[in-house]
Amino acid sequence: MAQVTAQQLPSAAHAEHEHSHLSEEEQNNNLKLGVWLYLASEIVIFSIMIVGYVILRINEEEVVAQAHEQLGVGLVTANTFVLLASSYFMVMGLRAMQRGNRAGMLRWIGATALGGIVFLIGQYIEYSELSHLGIVLGFDAASQWSTLGMRFYAPTFFHGAHVFVGVVWALEVLRRGAQGRYDNNPIGIEMFGLYWHFVDVVWIMLFTLIYLV
Amino acid sequence: MAPAENHEAAAVARPALSDYLRWSVDHKIIGVQYGVAAFLFFIVGGAMAMLIRLELWTPALDLMVSGSAYNSLFTMHGTIMIFLFIIPMWAAFGNFVVPLQLGAKDMAFPWLNAFAFWLIPPAAVVVLLGYFVNPAEAGWTAYPPLSTLFSGDGQTLWALGAHLLGISSIMGSINFIVTILNMRPPQMTLWRMPLLCWAVLATSIIAVMATPFLAGALTLLLLDRVAGTTFFDAAGGGDVLLWQNIFWFYSHPAVYIMVLPGMGVLSEVLSVHSRKPVFGYRMVGLSSMGIAFVGFTVWAHHMFTSLQPELRIPFMITTMIIAVPTGIKMFSWLGTIWGGKIRFTSAMLFALGFMSMFVIGGITGVMLAALPFDIHVHDTYFVVSHFHFVLFGGSVFAIYAALYHWFPKITGRMMNERLGKIHFLFTYFGFLFTFFPMHIVGMLGMPRRVAVYVPEFQLWNQVISFSAFVLGFSTFIVIYNVIRSYYRGPIAGANPWRALTLEWATTSPPPPTNFDDDPIPYEDPYGYGTEAAAVYLAVVERAFDGDSSGR
Repeated sequence: MAQVTAQQLPSAAHAEHEHSHLSEEEQNNNLKLGVWLYLASEIVIFSIMIVGYVILRINEEEVVAQAHEQLGVGLVTANTFVLLASSYFMVMGLRAMQRGNRAGMLRWIGATALGGIVFLIGQYIEYSELSHLGIVLGFDAASQWSTLGMRFYAPTFFHGAHVFVGVVWALEVLRRGAQGRYDNNPIGIEMFGLYWHFVDVVWIMLFTLIYLV
Repeated sequence: MAPAENHEAAAVARPALSDYLRWSVDHKIIGVQYGVAAFLFFIVGGAMAMLIRLELWTPALDLMVSGSAYNSLFTMHGTIMIFLFIIPMWAAFGNFVVPLQLGAKDMAFPWLNAFAFWLIPPAAVVVLLGYFVNPAEAGWTAYPPLSTLFSGDGQTLWALGAHLLGISSIMGSINFIVTILNMRPPQMTLWRMPLLCWAVLATSIIAVMATPFLAGALTLLLLDRVAGTTFFDAAGGGDVLLWQNIFWFYSHPAVYIMVLPGMGVLSEVLSVHSRKPVFGYRMVGLSSMGIAFVGFTVWAHHMFTSLQPELRIPFMITTMIIAVPTGIKMFSWLGTIWGGKIRFTSAMLFALGFMSMFVIGGITGVMLAALPFDIHVHDTYFVVSHFHFVLFGGSVFAIYAALYHWFPKITGRMMNERLGKIHFLFTYFGFLFTFFPMHIVGMLGMPRRVAVYVPEFQLWNQVISFSAFVLGFSTFIVIYNVIRSYYRGPIAGANPWRALTLEWATTSPPPPTNFDDDPIPYEDPYGYGTEAAAVYLAVVERAFDGDSSGR
């Protein structure tokens, strides 16, 4: 007497499953909470690397002082400015889209991606200068910088990797934006913005901690 | 119309077995995928345990070719059981049951859910590939310098695999948190949530906050291994203890990742199968959160022997404090079954088994928290016994209870209760006689992680090994029961246990969208024994089982 109705068959099920059951607002809320949780977990990983540097800063003050004396902060300051500016572009891009200005959004997000690329080039130049001075990632007992290298490169490279991911993400936002996918719902831009601002804030921490104090 | 396997056709169409082998974003399919995969790893890890016990049958090194082979054996046993069995197994039940209990139609991020699952098989392959080079042999805790200076390439693969599993776990947990907080229908308020949902919420918060510590530590470990850094090498200005601190800052909360969902299962099973409301519902929900919070403050008790003396007492105190929320749960369970109409189903037996075993594991936990005692039994079989009492006597018993409880919902068919009880007897006594004697040899001074021991411990070790083989055998009973019941078990109907939570207010197995509309939860998820509850259950029964000849 038990029967199977058409709706209960798996094939019908799969077709139905292609579409989400959620309203756009519900999906947006889920995405926001999800991205915040993701960023919370990122904070932890960065803190481990930052603490690694702080321990060195406390234990071997003279090494850090020497490094500060010999190395200028000109390049990295310029780089910091570029990254901060890109965060501003990001805000403007989102605002443009919220006002329905797709072309404006594409310009601003394009500038954001460009800022990220310039930052990465700057970081590459900085790394090659440092390696000429003998500051390298691996341990080298002969070098006076033997303990500094890994503690400097680990957080800054990890941050650089995040900038790289951000640039790729920005390009994807541009691609989707050009197709008009954000015209009615700019949540995707907003989520990218959360990530990009996060990467920026982490850099402000790293810049202050490693180069300034 | 339905592909009937035998003459008593299933009431509701089940997904085809091949659906479980494909990419799917349905949380119920993913739940089963997690469960079956995790159980396969349980068998692999269990086989390794059997080899360990075989080696320890005699005091000499006879089965293994070298001490290194034995090292990698217990390393892989621990790694597989923790990262590939228990944690994914809770993701299995969490996935299948939690959205249903909430009354949601799916998880918040179905695609992410599937992706998190499909990271596990490649991660397992990476970890096991170690056997083709030099398998990891630094224990599942991977302390440097063992894991940096004295291990082969398998250790690198181990770290990579653990990294992937950590990412999978973080993604899964973010999904659970968002689902539980955002996907409830309007009537499902937080204080109407079943306690399994509370437990999974607490577990997921721990996983999102703690697992990145593992990821960070593993990143540094990998750099030390492949890029020549010296984060954990004192000779290069690093700090060996840094690993232990970060690792346990993850791994102690992680033991609650492994047991909190089981505690949630207990509240469900004990209440349903004794027809009594959960005693102190709110306190039980809050105690999950309490455990999640206090769990972050106790990590250094794993390092009592290497810790600065002035830090020992604070960690001893926090460790003892965490027994309080755990005790709240234990007394809630006792209060729940007290005076209830207990039905000794297989699920109930395993839940009661959990209570008896977890109490022993909890008490030895407090003993180990006491510094003078810990220094004495540090790194002995007493510790091995303690964590098996909480991880097997706790988590695995709860996994079995959950299996017997929700199998009818998952497959639409009942498990065989007779086989279930036989399985319980073998598991219970096999477990007890495997791990209880370890307390004794531990206190007598037998160190863990060593293949060779003094001959005077041989009798105890043979008792332990024999019982371990009985325990290993018990697994075949449940495998047989699952396969047999999947094809021939009696049709379950929507609500075979007459439970009030929402996963039972739909067909077994549930249709792909779970519910037709937003379901309305009964006002109290555990309000058994009242007229109103009986009326509600009768309505559910009529809606799904009374006349199922279409709609």
